[in-house]
Amino acid sequence: MSSTWVIASKELLDLRRDRLFAVLIGFLAIATLISVGVAAAAFRTELDAYNLYVQQLTASGSTTPPAAPQLFPLQLLRGGVEYLEILGALFAIVLGYGTVAKEKYRGTLQLLLSRPVGRFAIPAGKVLGLAVVWLVVVAVLTVLTTLAILVIGNAPLQGIDVARILIAAVVAWVYLVFWSSLAIGITALSPRLSTGLIVSIVVWLAFVLIVPQIGDTMDPDNQVPGGLFATLQIQKPDELKVLANFAAFDGIRNGLEVSSITKHFERLSFAFLGIKDKYNQQPLGLVWTDMWGYAITLAAATLASVTFAVGATTRRNLQRKIS
Amino acid sequence: MTKSAIATDNLSKSYGSTLALDALSLEVAAGEVFGLLGHNGAGKTTTVNVLTTLLEPTQGDAEVAGHSVIADARAVRGAIGYLPENVQFYDNLTLIENLRFFAELSGLRRPDQRIRDVLRILDFEGRDRQRLGTFSKGMRQRVGIAQAILHAPSVLFLDEPTSGLDPEGVRTLRETIVRLNSEFGMTIFMNTHLLSEVTKTCTSIGILRGGTLVHHDTLAKTLADFPGEDSLEEIYFQLESEPVS
Repeated sequence: MSSTWVIASKELLDLRRDRLFAVLIGFLAIATLISVGVAAAAFRTELDAYNLYVQQLTASGSTTPPAAPQLFPLQLLRGGVEYLEILGALFAIVLGYGTVAKEKYRGTLQLLLSRPVGRFAIPAGKVLGLAVVWLVVVAVLTVLTTLAILVIGNAPLQGIDVARILIAAVVAWVYLVFWSSLAIGITALSPRLSTGLIVSIVVWLAFVLIVPQIGDTMDPDNQVPGGLFATLQIQKPDELKVLANFAAFDGIRNGLEVSSITKHFERLSFAFLGIKDKYNQQPLGLVWTDMWGYAITLAAATLASVTFAVGATTRRNLQRKIS
Repeated sequence: MTKSAIATDNLSKSYGSTLALDALSLEVAAGEVFGLLGHNGAGKTTTVNVLTTLLEPTQGDAEVAGHSVIADARAVRGAIGYLPENVQFYDNLTLIENLRFFAELSGLRRPDQRIRDVLRILDFEGRDRQRLGTFSKGMRQRVGIAQAILHAPSVLFLDEPTSGLDPEGVRTLRETIVRLNSEFGMTIFMNTHLLSEVTKTCTSIGILRGGTLVHHDTLAKTLADFPGEDSLEEIYFQLESEPVS
């Protein structure tokens, strides 16, 4: 067994018995399930309102029913995606930081460094361990949310829906590995462990909350609940004509948004799950044609983050933490 | 001539402007139990950290088990066992899980039989499924020895091994050290404050003061050279206070 896998296996065993980990993941699972429940309730309310409206129209003698609301089961996952986007990233940072910091605080770093392991074994083992942990967590959350759609949402799923959920799960896994790896690298580079955690959280704050929020705030369609253009009953082609007059502004807004890896995760997830109206019920090939750039960027960023973690967690950086 | 297990040549280590270890030149023969003595801050732990490759020397070099701590650090790590002061473990893991982890990291392919042997040597049979978080300080020190000898190292470094132990723990650990040396031929390099333990376990001693080695000889010769002194403690304080030549 290679040293990398030995370290990864220890991380798995250690985290399996870690109470903080259990609490964080339990919280994430419950929050995700509640979000499905809340979304399902909102769907039912919307449907009830529609049915009541149809009844009233029928009672008044109208024979032309109004257009039914477009409700699809996978849209119930919107809240879950947003929880993973924000809380998942934060928890990934906490776990990434913890995997380095605990060795120092527990006093096991010296024993680890006194072993004849290769240059990259320790960081690679830690990254691999967390990658497997996130794989298991995402798999469990995927099963739970799929069951929640069926049971709480009482909505049927087709084969293509399951495929969409699986794609979104892979995207979520890659996104979480990105944040954990980044936290490992930053913590290893920081002269003090607390600095590593603070810097990681500042990066999270900037790229998960602030930058996407600025982009969202600049979006003219977000100025009115329900969407500016929809409220004004402006059709898509006309909307595009209006926006063409603000191309520079929209370019800046979009540039700000896509500078955040979180936005890549969100756009990919919303597209493949059909949460974004434009991609709802569209073939996967069509979604991929539009979204491959985001997928490649997310994958490249995660690869860079893993490389950073492995490169930054040098023996010398770890040794500095002993004294 | 006895082959050296440890040989340092002009070994120095600085932390910024603070010189912690000053041109240490020292030889420890294979099969010896060497005790490094000195006040707090004398440079004992720095010496062990450099010899175990946890720290890089600022100047000079050292050979441990025939390997340079600079040029062949990984080989040094493969040949030594190390018990740090206040050793800690993964408390979420059981005794056997901790030992298996360190054994596999030391390159043992199928370590279970070796772990059972070591547990028998250190009288840990029947406790292998207990989590380390439930172990007393004395037991943890012995687990520390266990993890250090799993891969049958030729040189064993012990940094303040009796620190914080009760008298029974000190005696048990002393017996273990003597046994490892006499039965398995391990060279033992030990930092300690307990001079009474040094007289019972060590074959040679060194005294560090302010990072400088002020005395190095066999224990028997050291005691013989000070016929008027009643104990190693008195000799230690006399040597410690003499001007550096």
